[in-house]
Amino acid sequence: MRVLIVEDDENLANQIATSLGDVGYAVDRASDGEDGHFLGDTEPYDAVILDLGLPVMDGASILRRWRRDGKTMPVLILTARDSWTDKVEGLDAGADDYLTKPFIMEELLARLRALIRRSAGQASAEISVGPVMLDTRNGRVSVDGRSIKLTAQEFKLLSYLMHHEGKVVSRTELTEHIYDQDFDRDSNTIEVFVNRIRKKLDVQIIETVRGLGYRLEWSA
Amino acid sequence: MLKRLFNFFRTLTGRLVLFAVSGSALALVIGGVILSAAFHDSLIEDIDRRLERQIDILVGISQVGLDGNLSFIRPITDEQFTQPYSGFYWQVSVEGSDAMRSRSLWDYELTPDLSHRDFMIDFTELAGPDGQILRVAEIDAILPEDDQDRVFRYMVAIDMAPVKAASARYDRLLALALGIIMFVVAVGMIAQVFYGLMPLKNLRSSLGRVIEGRSRYIEGEWPEDLEPVADDINILIEKNEKLVDRARTHVGNLAHALKTPLAVIQNEVSGDTSKRGEAIVQNTRIIRDHVDHHLKRARISGAMGGPGVDVKDRLAKLVKAVSTMYAAKNIDFELLCPDGLRFAGEHEDFDEIMGNLIENAGKWTESKVHVRVVTVRKQRKSMIEITVDDDGPGVPAEDRATIFKRGKRLDERVPGTGLGLAIVRDITDMYDGSAKLDASEFGGLSAIITLPVKLQN
Repeated sequence: MRVLIVEDDENLANQIATSLGDVGYAVDRASDGEDGHFLGDTEPYDAVILDLGLPVMDGASILRRWRRDGKTMPVLILTARDSWTDKVEGLDAGADDYLTKPFIMEELLARLRALIRRSAGQASAEISVGPVMLDTRNGRVSVDGRSIKLTAQEFKLLSYLMHHEGKVVSRTELTEHIYDQDFDRDSNTIEVFVNRIRKKLDVQIIETVRGLGYRLEWSA
Repeated sequence: MLKRLFNFFRTLTGRLVLFAVSGSALALVIGGVILSAAFHDSLIEDIDRRLERQIDILVGISQVGLDGNLSFIRPITDEQFTQPYSGFYWQVSVEGSDAMRSRSLWDYELTPDLSHRDFMIDFTELAGPDGQILRVAEIDAILPEDDQDRVFRYMVAIDMAPVKAASARYDRLLALALGIIMFVVAVGMIAQVFYGLMPLKNLRSSLGRVIEGRSRYIEGEWPEDLEPVADDINILIEKNEKLVDRARTHVGNLAHALKTPLAVIQNEVSGDTSKRGEAIVQNTRIIRDHVDHHLKRARISGAMGGPGVDVKDRLAKLVKAVSTMYAAKNIDFELLCPDGLRFAGEHEDFDEIMGNLIENAGKWTESKVHVRVVTVRKQRKSMIEITVDDDGPGVPAEDRATIFKRGKRLDERVPGTGLGLAIVRDITDMYDGSAKLDASEFGGLSAIITLPVKLQN
């Protein structure tokens, strides 16, 4: 899952990025409104954390532009502006959630998870496909109740596929969503990760669709 | 009563009324005294002329006979001088003989001071018969045919009682007339004072509306000499408004500037279970609560003079915002509100009250939140009553009153600073409204607030 953080306070942006990285998100950062808008406009993100008071262009304007241009990724506004008039304006501009500073990191993570799940049409924090179960809250994966150990990259890949169950996902899309912008991307490594996951899960759940990509589906 | 009267005379109206009325009363009293004295003098003068004429006649018809006795060349036939105690008398006295008297004197004799001679007419007041007070004209004369050159004292007198009665009647009439004039003048002056001071009174009530927040500026038409004052007050109000706005912006900026570093500190020590870590967590929470409290307090406007807030439109936006924030819960929101109803206040204040209440309901509800708006009469004033119901766990009756207090949180597990409901009470208080909690018909909590209606022109 790839998340964009648009926040002009470097310390706070670092903290959020570290916390998100720790739980397996690929994170991109922008410290002003213009960069933030550009990244959200050109890169595929699974969620955006957006500050309102930003240099160059304010958060609400960025959000309105994205929504006007048909961008549908979930956006969580994270701001010091805690008046209800600001909340109404922010949510009216197209935000999916609104969290005010100062905040507790766990709450930000929980809300972000909920947003991503909701946009993928998942109601529960636990995603199950056949015998495979992925808990988005703690990053645990199990098959028939048996816990499976995955590396960070493997988890990101499986999580993305499970969030898009039954959909054909191309290698490029996977690359875009599990690596952040600065990562040296090599789509061949995707193949390696998929094979490793298949081995670890030991159930036939990820199918290769020749020339198109992968599809995660359970057919008993 | 006396104190109230005393206080009234210390007011501007009281002073003007007191000085105008007492001034004109004094003028009328002086005028009355002068008029009364002038009338009295003219009456006396008239009587003196009559007495003088009578005494001239008396002297003119006097003769001394060969026997040396005084007699009149013709009889005095005037009835006034023959009827006893008629009030008209004459007497001629000479040393060494009995005085000749008018018959009207009957048994009474006037007692002239014959030791002192005066050949010019002199007027005095003397006691007369029957307790009468007489106006007496006296003159001494020596008759030409009198060989003895005796000095005769001629006296003509008139009873003053009818004159005094006429004078008293005149004084009474004068007092009545002046009293009526005084009354008309006083009423006119009081009316003039009240009419003259009316613009000041209007200015005061206009300023009162500003102070109560029902109007932003002093409004109305003012007399030319009062207009600069009204303009100056408006300039002052505007200056004050800017000052308050600036202070508010500063508080806001300060609060916002503190929040991001606070978030950083809070997250930096999160999970640090050392004593130091816990102390930092605890104190950042205290700072955060203070920042939140003062920021929210500074934001309350309480101004009722603006165009008001479309209740339905604003509630729809707030319900939409909360339903977005709690999208995962699939809450059934229902909003029942009459069209065109306006709240007499600022929309930021309205948002703060209703945002907190609806979010609270959204946070705790199982499945439904109902927002209903009606108008009610409270203390002869039209008020908007908004009820937010949820089917959550509710609040025990004994805790409902304390939940509006600052920092009060009934459940520490749900994030929040516990300021939401305290600020709701602060804002409703600013608008003379009310906020209370009750048990909801859905089993959860029912929050009921009242706010003033903006009356349509």
